[in-house]
Amino acid sequence: MVSIVLRTGVIVSAGVIVVGLILLAFNGLAGMTGGIATAMNFPHTFGAVLSGVVKLDPVSVITLGLLLMIITPVTRVAVSIIAFAMERDWRYVGITTVVLIVLLVSFALGKAGS
Amino acid sequence: MTQILAQFLIILVVAFVAGTIGSLLGLGGGIIVIPALTLFLHIDFRLAAGASIVSIIATSSGSAATYVKDRLSNIRVGMFLEILTSVGAVCGAFLAGLVTGSALYVVFALVLMYSLYPMGKKIALELGWRVQPFGRHKADNAAPDAFAAKLGFSSSYYDPAVKREISYDLHHVPAGATIMYFAGLASGLLGIGSGVFKVVALDTAMGMPMKASTATSNFMIGVTAAASAGIYFLRGDIDPLIAAPVALGVLGGSMIGTRLLARLAGVSIRIIFFIVLAIISIQMILKGFGVSL
Repeated sequence: MVSIVLRTGVIVSAGVIVVGLILLAFNGLAGMTGGIATAMNFPHTFGAVLSGVVKLDPVSVITLGLLLMIITPVTRVAVSIIAFAMERDWRYVGITTVVLIVLLVSFALGKAGS
Repeated sequence: MTQILAQFLIILVVAFVAGTIGSLLGLGGGIIVIPALTLFLHIDFRLAAGASIVSIIATSSGSAATYVKDRLSNIRVGMFLEILTSVGAVCGAFLAGLVTGSALYVVFALVLMYSLYPMGKKIALELGWRVQPFGRHKADNAAPDAFAAKLGFSSSYYDPAVKREISYDLHHVPAGATIMYFAGLASGLLGIGSGVFKVVALDTAMGMPMKASTATSNFMIGVTAAASAGIYFLRGDIDPLIAAPVALGVLGGSMIGTRLLARLAGVSIRIIFFIVLAIISIQMILKGFGVSL
């Protein structure tokens, strides 16, 4: 079950990134006029990414793929909690829940710090 | 437009080569791709680290899927120690936002040098020099650890090389856990997987057999990286036009590297890379002090 989550996560994320790249190749960057691409504004909040994805903005779609990649291990931890619960290993349900909380707090802290 | 695509392709190729070399040498992609991005492509260290951390999640998730099935990785040990690596990674990611770029280059160079140490020992052994193998822990007469017993760390796996089940107990859990915190700190600070430090904690400190240590470390790397990746993302250090080609390139390269491993990773090739990486670590230090060659 855990390995299915990991593999699916990697394949889906890579797929979304590739879709974003295809969009980029066909549409180009909205409002992009030369210059080095690294210096431009790119979405770095969850809201900005989602609103860009709705408009099929290539960079937002690529970023969504990267976010899905980042979330894959978090999903794996959540699934592990269920797996330990099914084994009735409550100590490890607790330990794994702590790991999940640290991961979720890291996202919340990152938001507060940015 | 074409400029963006060209830049994308260049980063993709560089990351692919870095991922291949990283997995050929067993060092992981991050520690190779960051010097490639910063020294060759002159990308800012934090953006390189942000891109690298995503590529580490990709390769770790890809390979952990097979390790979990093989029963080689000890999921309980990994999950317990992930509490420490993930807290360390959060601290490291915040620290990366506070310290100067120069400091990051110097610390990175030191970590790279340390990562070369086990590789150097392995080469020396194959050349027939008399050295103690890396990570070989002393005879296991240490008392079984109370933590290890309580947390159910003892496990076993089937080793096809010796055709039997290998079972093991762990000890020195507090020492291993402390090293894990610092492994997480280095991972979050530099955008690397810190596999070498994780193996030191599992194998050298806690006495887990090398094969199980490597698999468990690989299993842990993705979660550790995810703990800092969110912070990198929200700080704006994950530039999609850098991170996407790096993630795809390193992932593809590491898949090829694993296949080439048996055929290509002869000792002479590894000596060449060892020397190249030693030079690169010196270049990173020089870059940290503002000297560019």
